[in-house]
Amino acid sequence: MRVLLVEDEVEIQSFLQRSLTEAGYQVEAAGDARTAERMTIESTHDVLVVDLGLPDEDGLSLILRLRQLGLRAPVLILSARRSVDDRVRGLEQGGDDYLTKPFALAELLARLRNLVKRNSSSVAEAARLRVVDLELDLLRREASRSGEILNLTPQEFVLLEYLCRNAGRVVTRSMILDEVWGMRIQPDTNVVDVHIYRLRGKVDTDGRRPLIRTLRGVGYVLNDR
Amino acid sequence: MFSMTAKPIMRSAAWRISMWATLAFACGTMVVFIFLHQFVAGDIQRRTDAWLAGEAGVLSDVAERTPKGILYRRVVGEVAELASREVPHKRGVRSGLNDSVFFLQTAPDTSVGLWVGAGDVNTHLAAVKNSRIVPDTPTSVRITGFDAPFRVVCVRMNNGGQIYLGLSERDQLRVLGNLRLRFVLLWLLIVLIGSAIVFYSTRRVLRHIQEITEAASRIGEADLSSRVPTTRRNDEVSQLAITLNRMLDRIERSVHQLHTITGSLAHDLRSPLTAVRAKLEMSLTAGARDEESESIVSAIEDMDRLTEFLNKSLDVAEAKANALRLNRVAVDLNDLLRVMVELYEPSMSEKGLRVNLCSAGALELSADAALLHRTIANLFDNELKHLPTACTVTICLSSSEDSALLVVEDDGPGFESDVLSQIFERRVKGRNSTGHGLGLAFVEAVVRVHGGTIEASNGSEGGARLTITLPLAVPSTSPLSPTLVHA
Repeated sequence: MRVLLVEDEVEIQSFLQRSLTEAGYQVEAAGDARTAERMTIESTHDVLVVDLGLPDEDGLSLILRLRQLGLRAPVLILSARRSVDDRVRGLEQGGDDYLTKPFALAELLARLRNLVKRNSSSVAEAARLRVVDLELDLLRREASRSGEILNLTPQEFVLLEYLCRNAGRVVTRSMILDEVWGMRIQPDTNVVDVHIYRLRGKVDTDGRRPLIRTLRGVGYVLNDR
Repeated sequence: MFSMTAKPIMRSAAWRISMWATLAFACGTMVVFIFLHQFVAGDIQRRTDAWLAGEAGVLSDVAERTPKGILYRRVVGEVAELASREVPHKRGVRSGLNDSVFFLQTAPDTSVGLWVGAGDVNTHLAAVKNSRIVPDTPTSVRITGFDAPFRVVCVRMNNGGQIYLGLSERDQLRVLGNLRLRFVLLWLLIVLIGSAIVFYSTRRVLRHIQEITEAASRIGEADLSSRVPTTRRNDEVSQLAITLNRMLDRIERSVHQLHTITGSLAHDLRSPLTAVRAKLEMSLTAGARDEESESIVSAIEDMDRLTEFLNKSLDVAEAKANALRLNRVAVDLNDLLRVMVELYEPSMSEKGLRVNLCSAGALELSADAALLHRTIANLFDNELKHLPTACTVTICLSSSEDSALLVVEDDGPGFESDVLSQIFERRVKGRNSTGHGLGLAFVEAVVRVHGGTIEASNGSEGGARLTITLPLAVPSTSPLSPTLVHA
């Protein structure tokens, strides 16, 4: 997977470059719009990460220009401005996504993964998900652990399904709110934690190896080993 | 709502103004006419009196000098007839004596001496005797058989007899009558035309003002870039339009500046925050020791709280300045509440709170989904943070003809009375509140920007109540009343 990272802040650029490389991407980085444009002409990328506040041009107009030049790869927008949300949302409808700064790395990686997946033709949906000894029957909406059926509410099932699909990867609270409840909100209260806590009470019962792990300050991860 | 056609013409300001103007004009011209009429009538009378006095003097002179003999009657009678010919005859009467003048001479014993005139001499004699005419002073006398009164002057002769000379006021009255008729017709015409002119010209001016009003009320709701219409005429109304437009220019500049400031503030804060957060995350994944990772984690958590505060402050600032840009889509408020209840119910019950949702089914709004989500989440967060254990939150959704009514009430301690009146201001919060005091300010701003209303009150048996109305996307045909569907 080749990523073009367009970000002018050196610190953020180097951090993202490192993290994306660690996550298995081949990363090319550009510090301004002109370099970015040249790079997209010289080589093709699977996905672009573009900061809106570039020194020489507005990120949105760069994206629009690249699209006119025939860019097909999805674009993840990094925005430090919230007042452009509406314009960003407009782009989002075109299959792209955005993240407001500051963001959690886990969220960036997850959104990037989603974009790439959305872009490549969707893989046939499996009817079952299996993580270690946890098994989800997606048709009958049933979850079992070591063959023992877990008594989950529909909401808890959706939450567990989301964790299983991202097994081994960190998911943040806002990702859970977005994916499971379909809301981009930032509650001042621990609503997500309580849901996870309840789910954990059913999945990780006494005597079993805990699967749902909390990474404080980051989010949650479902152990896949 | 300002449409001219929707309002009956009788209730428009143009109508009122033209009515008053017409009234003033009509009264004014009437007063002027009455004055002129009096003047003309007086003048005609003065001329009549002067003529009467002159002729009577001549006649008495002739009567005195003419020797009393057989010719006396003929001489005086001819002089009287000559005098009467100076006055125009009644139209149509060609022959006979002039009926608008009479000459009457009485002997000292008040018997008729000489009579020249139309009609019966005795009725004339009786009439002039009855009216006790003072000599040499013209007096109006009514005589039976004549429509118009006669102006009569009396001259006393040396032999004790009297001469009466009378002139009918008929012509004078006819002239004045004609004058009055013509005036009334002209007056009606002028008043009607005048009031029509005043009405149409005021209405034109007022319609322009109304256009300005309509345009001004649209601005602000939608966008600040449009302006009220101006005309080329350099009158007061176009001055008003120009002034309004200048004011809008200033407001737009200020709002634009606010956008720039909040935008750059956000940008300037977010970039370093991103860098710091990235570094913290990196050192966390680089395999830090337990005690180190504990402080890193708490630093990240602090930072997320800071970010959240920053976002909320900016949201509220923008919302309060009416600078929120709405991206309206169809949102089912009922669905949204249901999902929110599902999301918050575990946290609520964890704290010993119960939540009831009563709703009458789908209610579609045309709203900014992201803002609405955050607004409803704020309401729930608010209850979750402030309610003591074992309380119940009841959320009721119903609809009237054109708006959705959302009532959120609880049986907790209610709003503190000293902050109730300003509960939607920024940074206003109860003494025991741990929040930033931004939640309800944000809720109010979002509701307002969607054209809704919000009201905070305390129930009669305690407990806080928030009443929110939001305009429906399409007004429902039959108002829905809620039924309890979720407990």
